[in-house]
Amino acid sequence: MIELKDVTKYFQTKNGKNYILKDVTFSIPSDVNIGILGRNGTGKSTLMRMLGQIEFPNNGKITSNKSFSWPLGLSGGFVGNMTGKANVKFVCRLYGKNSDEIKDIIQFVKEFSELGNYFDMPIRTYSSGMKGRLSFGLSLAFDFDYMLIDETLSVGDARFKKKSKEALLKKIENCNILLVSHDMNTLRELCESGIVVDKGKMYYFDKIEDAIIEYNEINKKVK
Amino acid sequence: MVKRNSFKIFFAVQNALFLRELNMRFSSGRMGLFWTFFEPFFQILIFVLIKVALFGSAESHFDFAVFLALNFTAFNLFKNIVTKSINSFKANKALFLYKQVKPIDTILARIIVEIFITAIIIVMFLGIGVYFNFDIVIKDISMVAFGFLVLIVFSFSLALFLSILNIFVDSVSKLIGFSMTALMFGSAVFYAIDMLPLNVQKILLYNPLTHIMEIIHGSYFSVLDDSYVDYTYILVWTLSLLYIGLWSYVKLEKRIVSA
Repeated sequence: MIELKDVTKYFQTKNGKNYILKDVTFSIPSDVNIGILGRNGTGKSTLMRMLGQIEFPNNGKITSNKSFSWPLGLSGGFVGNMTGKANVKFVCRLYGKNSDEIKDIIQFVKEFSELGNYFDMPIRTYSSGMKGRLSFGLSLAFDFDYMLIDETLSVGDARFKKKSKEALLKKIENCNILLVSHDMNTLRELCESGIVVDKGKMYYFDKIEDAIIEYNEINKKVK
Repeated sequence: MVKRNSFKIFFAVQNALFLRELNMRFSSGRMGLFWTFFEPFFQILIFVLIKVALFGSAESHFDFAVFLALNFTAFNLFKNIVTKSINSFKANKALFLYKQVKPIDTILARIIVEIFITAIIIVMFLGIGVYFNFDIVIKDISMVAFGFLVLIVFSFSLALFLSILNIFVDSVSKLIGFSMTALMFGSAVFYAIDMLPLNVQKILLYNPLTHIMEIIHGSYFSVLDDSYVDYTYILVWTLSLLYIGLWSYVKLEKRIVSA
């Protein structure tokens, strides 16, 4: 269960406040995979970051007894001068893993990301696709109650995409995801429920299909 | 996922950041590492040469090279803590992606790295001192250690305050660069306050760092003492800076994380 209580979040712009959420009280049920939909700039990613506790509401509270991953984006907090391996080790240490666990995680990430020799090269030599593969592999190696995913599924070539989708499907047998995506097929495949964010409000739908219909309605109105 | 308590999380984060900082130092080219350890030697060499040029010899009633080694080690520790911390919020922004990494952790990690490097330098100097028969006898080792402790707390407080300022005010880091040079001349680094004329003493004793340097070399050499040190003055400075630093940090932490 994720509880939002009187949550208000806005960004200051030149023409006043741009509200992402306005006095939202809401509880997101547990044990379902939820897709988050909304037009560009409505604050889907901000909502994600607030759930990951690296962005904070201007007012109100978000509470939950579940653990959340860091928001999985294309390239998460890597140091350019350090090798891929050293970066993986660093994140393991942040989560307090002991040396045996670190060894296993490194082995897993190395195999999954298919970086080969590049795994022992500084990150600055990586292409953005390689960074994405490393970051995705790394996120699969940890166990959270919720994984926060911000469009990371489109990493690498077609074969790698297929592989990561399969890995993710296996992963969500044991955990839940909150997924921001504009790809309706991905949302249908991975999520059961949906949240639509629009004009400072959140709408929850038990069935992702209903959320997609609502999202399409909103898009029609804009045109 | 297993729930960890706050201390466990804190130590895991410090451990990870410390090793990462070291890794960054070692992987940023060999010259960086070389200068870390040999900069103090060149500083000492230059000031010994200046003294010889000005006064004809390096003779004093204490060993001038040891005096410089001690003072530059202490001053460099202060300088590095402040200058390395000041950009740590900006440089480590990507790490705030992980919610357990708080901005203050990145400063603490850098300070611990600086203390670690200083410890190596001290061992190096002591080794050289013993091997080449310098007069390295310490008058009061616990007071010297106390002086270093005060120096570290003072530097941390100043560093925390300035790093927060650096987020919201431009060109703070530029100004720090200039001030460090000025402070090196004005903080009893290559002289003891006792060697100066009275009116100069008066001005320099407004500088809290002068007092801290006086504790350190005053309790190291038997011919010097801490009679110029105003302990209350140091305490007031340190506590005020610490209070302002921590207070503004608590107020602004969230803004720094998502800045």
